[in-house]
Order: sequence, then C-alpha cells, then structure tokens
Amino acid sequence: MTWTLLDRCCDRCTHSVENPCKDYVECRLNGPLCHEDERCRELRRRRLEELAYGEKGAKIKVPMASCTLAMGSEAVYNAVLEAVEKLGVEATVTISGCYGMDFIDPWVEFSAKGMPTAIYARVRPADVPKLIESYFIKRDVSGAFALKERTGGALGEEKVPLLSELDFWRKQYKWVSRNCGVVNPESLEEYVASGGYRGLSKALKVGPERVIDEIQKSGLRGRGGAGFPTGLKWKLARQQPATPKYVIANADEGDPGAFMNRLLAESDPFRIVEGLTIAGYAVGASQGFIFVRAEKPMMAKRLRRAVEEARKYGLLGRNILGSGFDFDIEVILSAGAFVCGEETAMIAAIEGKRAWPRQRPPYPAEKGLWGKPTIVNNVETLAHAATIMAEGAEKFAAVGTERTKGTKMFCVTGNVKRVGAYEVPIGVSVRYLVEELAGGPPDGSKIKAVQIGGPSGGCIPAALLDLPIDYETLQGAGAIMGSGGIVVMTEDTCMVDAAKFFLTFTSAESCGKCVPCRVGLRTMWNILDKITRGEGTEEDLHTLRQMAETVRSFSLCALGGTAPNPVLSTLRHFVDEYMAHIRDKVCPAMVCRALIAYRIDEERCIACGQCAMNCPVSAISRVESGKYRIDKEKCISCGICFAVCPVKVITKVPRGSLGGGHA
Amino acid sequence: MPKVKIDGRVVEVEPGTTVLAAAEKAGVRIPRLCVVPGLYEGSSCRVCLVKTPAGRLFPACNYRVYRDEEFVATSPDLWEMRRVNFELLLAFHRIECWQCERKGACSLVSLAKELGVEGIPVCSECPLPPSECLLRRGILCLGMITLAGCEAECVAGGGECWGCRGPITRADVLERAFKRYSELGFDVTSVVSKAEIFWNSLDSFGVVKSVAGRASGGGRG
Amino acid sequence: MEEKGAPPNPDELFRGLQRAPHNLIEALRRVQAHYGYLPLEGIKMAADYVGVPLAQAYGVATFYHQYSLEPLGKYRILLCMGTACHLAGNRLNAEFLRSLLGLKPGQKTTSDMLFSVEEARCFGCCGLAPVVMILKPDGTNEIIGRANPRSLRAAVERYRRLERGGSG
Repeated sequence: MTWTLLDRCCDRCTHSVENPCKDYVECRLNGPLCHEDERCRELRRRRLEELAYGEKGAKIKVPMASCTLAMGSEAVYNAVLEAVEKLGVEATVTISGCYGMDFIDPWVEFSAKGMPTAIYARVRPADVPKLIESYFIKRDVSGAFALKERTGGALGEEKVPLLSELDFWRKQYKWVSRNCGVVNPESLEEYVASGGYRGLSKALKVGPERVIDEIQKSGLRGRGGAGFPTGLKWKLARQQPATPKYVIANADEGDPGAFMNRLLAESDPFRIVEGLTIAGYAVGASQGFIFVRAEKPMMAKRLRRAVEEARKYGLLGRNILGSGFDFDIEVILSAGAFVCGEETAMIAAIEGKRAWPRQRPPYPAEKGLWGKPTIVNNVETLAHAATIMAEGAEKFAAVGTERTKGTKMFCVTGNVKRVGAYEVPIGVSVRYLVEELAGGPPDGSKIKAVQIGGPSGGCIPAALLDLPIDYETLQGAGAIMGSGGIVVMTEDTCMVDAAKFFLTFTSAESCGKCVPCRVGLRTMWNILDKITRGEGTEEDLHTLRQMAETVRSFSLCALGGTAPNPVLSTLRHFVDEYMAHIRDKVCPAMVCRALIAYRIDEERCIACGQCAMNCPVSAISRVESGKYRIDKEKCISCGICFAVCPVKVITKVPRGSLGGGHA
Repeated sequence: MPKVKIDGRVVEVEPGTTVLAAAEKAGVRIPRLCVVPGLYEGSSCRVCLVKTPAGRLFPACNYRVYRDEEFVATSPDLWEMRRVNFELLLAFHRIECWQCERKGACSLVSLAKELGVEGIPVCSECPLPPSECLLRRGILCLGMITLAGCEAECVAGGGECWGCRGPITRADVLERAFKRYSELGFDVTSVVSKAEIFWNSLDSFGVVKSVAGRASGGGRG
Repeated sequence: MEEKGAPPNPDELFRGLQRAPHNLIEALRRVQAHYGYLPLEGIKMAADYVGVPLAQAYGVATFYHQYSLEPLGKYRILLCMGTACHLAGNRLNAEFLRSLLGLKPGQKTTSDMLFSVEEARCFGCCGLAPVVMILKPDGTNEIIGRANPRSLRAAVERYRRLERGGSG
C-alpha cells in the first residue's frame, strides 16, 4: 500500500482517530509539526508530487460527473485504460469532477513532468489512443483544447491557448468552485492536499462564537435564493436553549436549469461536508443531514462516500480533531418533490412524512426537525462557509457589491454557445454571464429574453441585460437571482408558452396544502392555455393579474409565493405578445400549436417520406408529383414532420394564413 | 401578558394565544374554514389571513402571540383577496347542495355569504331535507339552478322556487343540475320554459340555455 | 439478480434500517426497488416495519413522484422536462414516443409492459438538451442527448430487437 498524506508519517506522530491531534490537518501539508525530521518532510513532498503527476510521473484525468457521464465519459475512461495498456504508457488514470464547461464534455486532461497539463475537448473513445500517443509518446500537445501552463517542453504549445487566456475561464472568479474538475472527488487526501479542512481545523481552535463572528463579518448570505444572512441564522440557532439541535444541508436542487449544486457536490463533496460540520459546531448541533434531490442520485453517492471517508479519518464522529466536538452526518435521498427545497417541507420529509411546508413562525431555528432548533443551509452556502473559514472573511468580501459580498455560481443554459456553470462575483451584469462567459446566442439568432431564478423567477427582456445580478436588484425588474439558473431564450421562444411551461411545473409541484397555490396556479394555467389556443380575451389578462396577486400574497410557502413571477414578469415585459395571441390570434414566435400550421415546400421536397412515416395522424400523403403534402384538415400541428425532415423544407406558417381554399 | 391590537381594538391575552382567539375576545370577526383546534393546525384555506402593520400576511388561526402586536383583520384589499381566494376554493367544489345533508350547517355556504361570493343554489337554504325534496314529489322546483340569498322563502311558504334571484352561471354545476332533473323525470325543455318567466331578459340565461341544449342533445343522442 | 415480484422477507429487505418513522421514505424506496413499483402489500410492509399507520405510508407513497403505484415497463423512458429541454422540444418528443408506442392519454406503459414513457424533472444536463434517459432492467441507463424523433425511434427499435432476440 502506498503511504498517503492522511497517514501517520512515523511512530513519533501521536495522532489516531481515537486520540486525535489538534494539528492533524496543518500537519498534512506543512508537517511534521510535533517533531523535526527531514525524512518525514520529504515523504510529504514526494506524495504531493505524486498527487499532481501520478505515481509514475504521468497522469490522465477523466471527469466522472452526471454531465460528463451523459456525454459518454465512462466509455472514454475505459478507452483510456485500454490505450495506456496497449501503448505501454506509464500513467496513473484517475477520475475528477467537472469544470462546469458543458460544451467541452467529455474532456480528458493529461499531465506529465516537464509537459504542460493539457485539456482535450469533446473526446470520443475512438480518439483516445491517438491523443495518448501524441501527448505521452510524441510529446505533442497541438491537438489540445487548452493548456494549464506553458513549459516549453512539448511540441505545438504555441498553437494552443492557455486556459487562463480563454474568456470563459479568465472572466470567472473561482472561489467556491476552485476544486471542481481539479481534484478527485472521491479522495479525501486530494481535498486535504488542495487546502481542505483547514477551515474546520481553524474553527475548532477559535470556538463557535468566533466562527459566527467570522461568517457575519464576511457578509455571507444564503445562496439558495432567499439571501438570509448566514451568520445571523447560525447565531439565532445558537441562542436557542433547547437541545439537541440539528443542521441540514439543502441539496434538493430542483429548479429546472440549475445544476451548480450538483456540480459542486459531485466535484468537491468534501467542501460541503466540511461546511456542514462547521455549521454544526457553530450552532451546537451534533447531528447533520444532507438532503439530496431524488433526480440527482450521483450527488448522494459522492456525498455519502465523502461522509464515510471523513468518518474514517476522524473528521466526523467523536471528539473531532481533539476538540471535544462530536458530530455526524446522514445523507438522505429524497423521493422526489420540488417543494422539499422549502425548509419546513424538507424537515417534514426528513421526518418521513409528506413534504408539506408549515406556516412560519415558528422558524426552524426555533422549532425545526422533531421540534428542535434546526438550521437549513444551501450546500453552496456551506461550501462558502468552509472556504471563508480557511481563507478568511476579508478575502471573501473583497468581491461582490455593497450589500452582498462574495461570489455565486450560475448556470447558463438554453440558447447559448457555451452552456455551463460559471462562478462570478455577485453584482456582475446578466450580459456578462450570458455573453462574455456563455458566448451569447448561436450565430444568426438574437436574445429575446433571459429567464432568471427558475420557476420562482421571472423573464427579463434583452433590453435589461445590463442589470447587475444581486438579491435585490433583479426584483425591481420582476425576476430574482434565486438559485442562479439562467435560461437564455431567443426569438423562437414564445413568452406565453414559456409562462405556461413554468406554471405546468409549479402547479404539478404544488403540494396541495393551501388553496391559493393548489387551485390558483391551476386556474392561471387554464387561462394561459386558453390564450395559447387563441381563445383568450383581454378580460382574461385582468383575471390573470388578479389571480397572480392573490396567489403571491396568500400562499403558505415560497413555492406559491413566487410561482406567479414568470406570469407577472412576462405580462409586464411582453404584453404585446399576449395581445398578439388574443387579438390577432397569432403566435409571433410560431410556437403555440393551435395558431400555426405546417407546409411542405414541394419544390425542394426530396420525397423521402420521413414526414409521412412519422405523422401520428396520417395527415401527410404523396401527391401526383411524388412529393408530399399535408392535409390541413387532418393536421394537428404537432411538428413531428418539421423535426424529422432531413432537408428542412417544412415551414411553419400562421394558421390564419392558410385560409379556406387549398394552397 | 401580551396586548394584541386588532382593527384598533386592544385585548390582553395569554402568551401563545392565536390571533383568531384574540380577535374573538376583542369582538372582531375573522372568517375561517380549515382549522379544527386539536385536530388540524390550519393555515391551509387562507381565508383567515390578517395583516401586520409592515404588510406581512399571517393566518390568524396559526399565528401565536408572545408579545405586543398589531394586526389588521378587515380592510378592503384584504377582503377582496380573501374573496378571490375563496372563489378559487369554491371553483373545485361540486356544489351539489340538493343532495347534501349538511345544508344549513355548511361552513362553505356561510363563508360564501360572509364574503359575498355568489354561485350557491337555493337548495343550500331549503328547509326540506333531501329526502323530502319537492322534485321527488314531482313538483318542478328551480332551486337547483337559482342563486341563493332569499332563505328559500317560497319553499318555506309551501311553494316551489321560481328562480326570481337569477341563475347559477357555472356550467359544470348547471350540467349536474340538469342531469339531476332528468334523473327525476323532468324534461329539460320544461325546466327552461319555467325559467323563462324570470330570466328571459337576463344575459346569464344564455349560459343556462346552452347547457340545457347540450343536456337535452346528449340525452337524445 | 433477485427474482422480482416474489414477496420479500422484510428483515432482509429492510436490513440495516432502523425501525423509526423517519425511515419510511427509504423503506418505501426499497420496496419499490424490489417490486419495480409499490403494491399495497409492500406499502403495508414498509408501514409495519417503521411503525406508522398504513394511511400515512399511503399518503407518502402517493405524494412523492419517484414512487409508482402501478407496474412500469421493463424499459422506462424518462423525458427531461427542464426549461432547456422544453425549449429544445422534449414535449414534442414525448408526444412522438406516445404515438409511436400507441399509448392512450393517461396511459404510461405499453400493454406488453415493455416500455413506459414518463415526464421527469430536470436532470441538470442542460448542455445536452433535449435529454431522454432510458432506465434499463439491469439498473443501468442510456442517455440520449439532443434527442429527436429519429433518434428515439431508433432507440425503441433497438430495444424491441433486443427483446425479440432475447426471447426467441
């Protein structure tokens, strides 16, 4: 067995899990601290180098996160194993998390002593042998996507940009996501080697009050969306006389289009475990829970493994690092309900009940899990807390705005060139994220709206892209920062349909406990559906607004309280589009099915028959010329023919334009 | 003991008292529906919401007072939103008062009256139990499709309902009523022609006629 | 693999799980993993084990959408209904699949119990929108990124062929 950084260096070391040393964490990197021995120091230095370049001086990293796995990184991993064997390359093959740059998935990273670390993008298993051969045997990096540094030791270095020169990397501020894609998420050793657990170690030395002071000084606010000051929350829970107390990490990331928590938990799970441990210490809890969304089981897997590892090395359990603090964590996988993201609903779910939220007050800090003081923090908040304890509040507060300090991870999806998760200081503009980092919309299309904050958020028009993103600023425009999901919509998105989509989601996810959310959202959906069918009236818009106000102010929890936002914001910024559906019976974006029809350009039709074969209602038939034609009486405007036509000669036309006679 | 001010009236209550109980003590009426003390914690129906001076809304049934606090329980905007909210609640109720045993004891009906929400049929006020319904005796009574509010004066006086208060306009309720009429052997056209006496000049009669048309068409088909 | 459908031994099924009400959600998950869905007897077993009334267990079973009270197909086709996938056309894909498999409105599973089509919550793989995931009987899954009617038809036909080959 290889000696790892987490092991004792020699018999003089007194540390054991049963009798832990206070300086265990510092001693890993800068040790030995209790005795002086050059051999023990050398042992550490050599191991750190091994972690960087592998035990044989060469290392291949394949990302294993949900996003990269979906793109086939497992096949790439297997191809790598096969190729190193075949080519006789002496390299350590390991896994990592994900950089958050979905547009290069699946990627691989090669490093070797004297060579620049190189990232290869969109790798297919068949490419692997060639790539390995050119990097490790020919020492040629010219085919790489980016390099991490220049060494002058490889061929073709000048042809490849440095990662730090590329906009989407350079313009980020990697604080809490610093380890994502860099370390092996299943290795506590790598986490500690990258500076992990210094935060907890420091926290245990300064005592809970100073931890809360430090978090309050940093100005950290909840990253789940509500923006409550984290330090204050901890303080309130600490002041409660009742015991035991509980801390919960909210990993129930449910907003469609948001995956920053998943990325963080799959790529750097120990940071979350460390953050939750610090939170438990600060409020005086001895049990923590991590509640993971049902649809993201890999998050749960990684977090469970991280908890086990931490337990194994005494970073969870009894008398952590000799401080007398006992703490353990249980990872709970949800059974699937969006409302679980609401803290009182999550508490009910952990108690094994239906995830029904309950009226606050009392707040969980006073009466939470099993009626005991409980705090619920988003996982990104906790990861921030761990990083703040390690790096200091000043460094964290150095970026951000006057009211909100630090950074936040955002996911930019939809119609952009570079879908991904990006970390930036709070206060940058929406445009910065959408255009400079995500590369803007695909060539030839224009941004129409940006949806921020998921189903609780709103749509802002392209004209407002320069708004800075903060908890408060976006509210003025009818959106919220929320959990940080940003969906870019181009001209081919119908805003009425988009609003309906979000209500489909929230009305299905309404837990049913209170009337305005259960019935009001359904009623609003009905009205939107009527409008998208071209049967709406101006009176409906009035009802819709009135309904939205009632649901917003009368609902029990934040799900209902924010669910009308997509409707209200589109009504505010895109009322013309609603009016086009109502007055002209036209869907300007050509999305709403009842208002459009399809037509085949018979001149350009290649008579392949794909459309007719896939038509669910047999509305397409061959005409005398051998080409195909749509029977508009039978056609249900489903759009399948449009999607399958290999030569794209089927076009959408407004339904009204077809008229009575046959074209 | 905390002092609670509700709509300007001040009462002293034990710490932990709900706003609803405090309001009762102060003589302020707050509508309510879902809360059943000791059985259900409430906060679901949202008809008892009260407002703090800062504009935040809390259900009176569930919010407990531990210190001096002030609430608004009756203001026009609060009342209007309660009404919209209650209409939502009613929208998913079948409103088949003609076969409901609760009748006078129905809190939905009394809440509808309190909030000024229309759409409940005269049957809800009928003094006869469902088993003695006039329709069962072959008397064509319009109670099922007529808006309540008259305390069913005609039925109480020994006659049948003639629909003087105007029709119910919710199509699904009308559909169920017409179904019931046919089950009891009444021809749809006879119901409509009786209704004509009071409703002929009303716009809302159109809804009744179209539902009736569908009902009789469906019956024949 | 263990034979599905046979009544399990509760002590084995719930091994390592503390008999406490808060373990209801996990107990139901194991029941579903055993049967492929939640039959009433399984819900009862979970309720008895953790010590809650059947009514509460049933309430939980019907609340969370990962639980299914009806048997599902051998291959479960899940269509992501996140925002990006919706915009990129997964609703159309869902309709296409339903028509391809001849599913009536409200019907989730084909009558031969081979496929079920379900709309799922965001997978968080928005870079691949629209995403369709096929859960296979061996517990693994196939993810189809940038799915369209053509790639979905191909996948369905592939599994149909596989099944014919397997049984014949």
